[in-house]
Amino acid sequence: MAETIKDTLHIARNPSAPRTFSQKYWDGTREKKVLLQYDNKSGKYQFYPRANSIYNGRRSVLEWREVSGKGEVFTFTIARRAREPFRGHEPFFIVLVTLDEGVNVMANVVNCSLEEMKIGLRMKPYWHPLPDGTNMLMFEPDRG
Amino acid sequence: MALRDAAIVGYAETKIVEKSDVDVWELGAQILEELLDKTGLDKGEIDGLILSSSQTGAGNNFWSQTTADQLALEVDYCNIVDIGGCSPAGAVARAAAAIDAGLCNIVFCLYADTQGRENNNRPRGFAQEWTQPIGYMGPPAAFGLLSKRYEHQFGLDYRALGKLAVAQREHAVLNDLACEKLRKPITVDDYLNSRMINDPIRLLDSVMVCDGASGLIVMSRKAAEKKGYTKCVVPIGYGERTIYRASEAVVDPTTTGHKPAGEKAFKQAGLTPKDIASFHPYDDFIIAIMMQLEMLGFCKHGQGCDFVNANDFRYTGNLPLNTGGGQISAGQVGLAGGGTNLIEAVRQLFGEGDKRQVKDTKNALVTGIGGIPYGRNWATSVAMILTPNS
Repeated sequence: MAETIKDTLHIARNPSAPRTFSQKYWDGTREKKVLLQYDNKSGKYQFYPRANSIYNGRRSVLEWREVSGKGEVFTFTIARRAREPFRGHEPFFIVLVTLDEGVNVMANVVNCSLEEMKIGLRMKPYWHPLPDGTNMLMFEPDRG
Repeated sequence: MALRDAAIVGYAETKIVEKSDVDVWELGAQILEELLDKTGLDKGEIDGLILSSSQTGAGNNFWSQTTADQLALEVDYCNIVDIGGCSPAGAVARAAAAIDAGLCNIVFCLYADTQGRENNNRPRGFAQEWTQPIGYMGPPAAFGLLSKRYEHQFGLDYRALGKLAVAQREHAVLNDLACEKLRKPITVDDYLNSRMINDPIRLLDSVMVCDGASGLIVMSRKAAEKKGYTKCVVPIGYGERTIYRASEAVVDPTTTGHKPAGEKAFKQAGLTPKDIASFHPYDDFIIAIMMQLEMLGFCKHGQGCDFVNANDFRYTGNLPLNTGGGQISAGQVGLAGGGTNLIEAVRQLFGEGDKRQVKDTKNALVTGIGGIPYGRNWATSVAMILTPNS
């Protein structure tokens, strides 16, 4: 019989912990928007948010753009041991999803079985509320 | 060339234990005493101190000078190398550079950590914001993601990985300084059947955090000759790379900084992978050994498992691997763990490998892996080629 991989929705999580240069990302999640840093000189996106462009080191070239948050699984693992507050809630997925804009985002997954999970699987955002009114980006299979 | 003008004239190592009974500075004092005994140096002749990273020392922004004070070392050069598992080999390269630049003459490299007894690490990085909130447990999760991607691109022969685990364990059984808990032989089936931690990373893929210390004395070859040291080990090639492919948003994690670091080390040494007599790679997870074989040029990218199946990695084999057991089978001395494989390589080249002495001591290749960035492989890769002076 196939093993059940748990979602992590009932685990009590801390509020988000933005830095000065990632605040806009977290602000966007309040409206369930995926905002990415975009380097308008190189024409490329980056994630996680940084204080400068990973492409040319400059700050002035960065702007924020809303994206769909859709993408595909780059790789995944099943966490079978975790620290608090995740301890006792294993096993759960950790995935790296390559968004269509060409960045990798690490996240938890909901509504997905072990049989369905595979590299290349199309994914879409699933928003999980945090105590401070921001939302955590998770993913679920994009079956539509 | 600066690097090969330096010489390692002595080495020391403590027993590796799960949790140290004594303070980290007591371990440091133990290493210093062993080095003074072995080299015949007076404490006052040491004028340089280079430390590795240390979880116990974390949080003290004056760790190297505090340690100098505790050990009563009056030095002209005092430094900590904070590139994690790359710190010990990195310290040897920096000692050579400091001596070459005239900053100091005789350097004590000390690699001590008691993470099990006292972990003071409060890392400031991406984790608080991006990975702790999703239950990502650091290195095992990172290597789970990495292994799954490798498997997708090339396939992964787990029996081949098991072969590496078994070879290292055989060596730990022969190493009296290895952590006792790990000194029991294992089979490939034991490896395959060990429980999953972060699929497909198993328990027997992983290091166990331990406490301990090791260290070296580095001076110029000229000074070593003048002092009449008949045995010493010379670093003849070194390469280091931090945040490989930093300017890319999506990085193929099966390619690593060991490619540029290895190319540089081999070029400096005037050697190729075929010339390597024994291999002492940093081993936090078994797959990292296989990936280093690929990136350092022992075989092609994606063919690491075939190479593993075709070669013999026991100390009696054609490419002896981590003959002290590596960290996976000897125990990982916190952030000083890179010292374990480095010291073993030096010990072998001194011809003091005892029950596990390799036959061919014309050189040894040591590597380091340090730090885990977001969604890539590891932060720093180093490669160092050593040769005996005689």
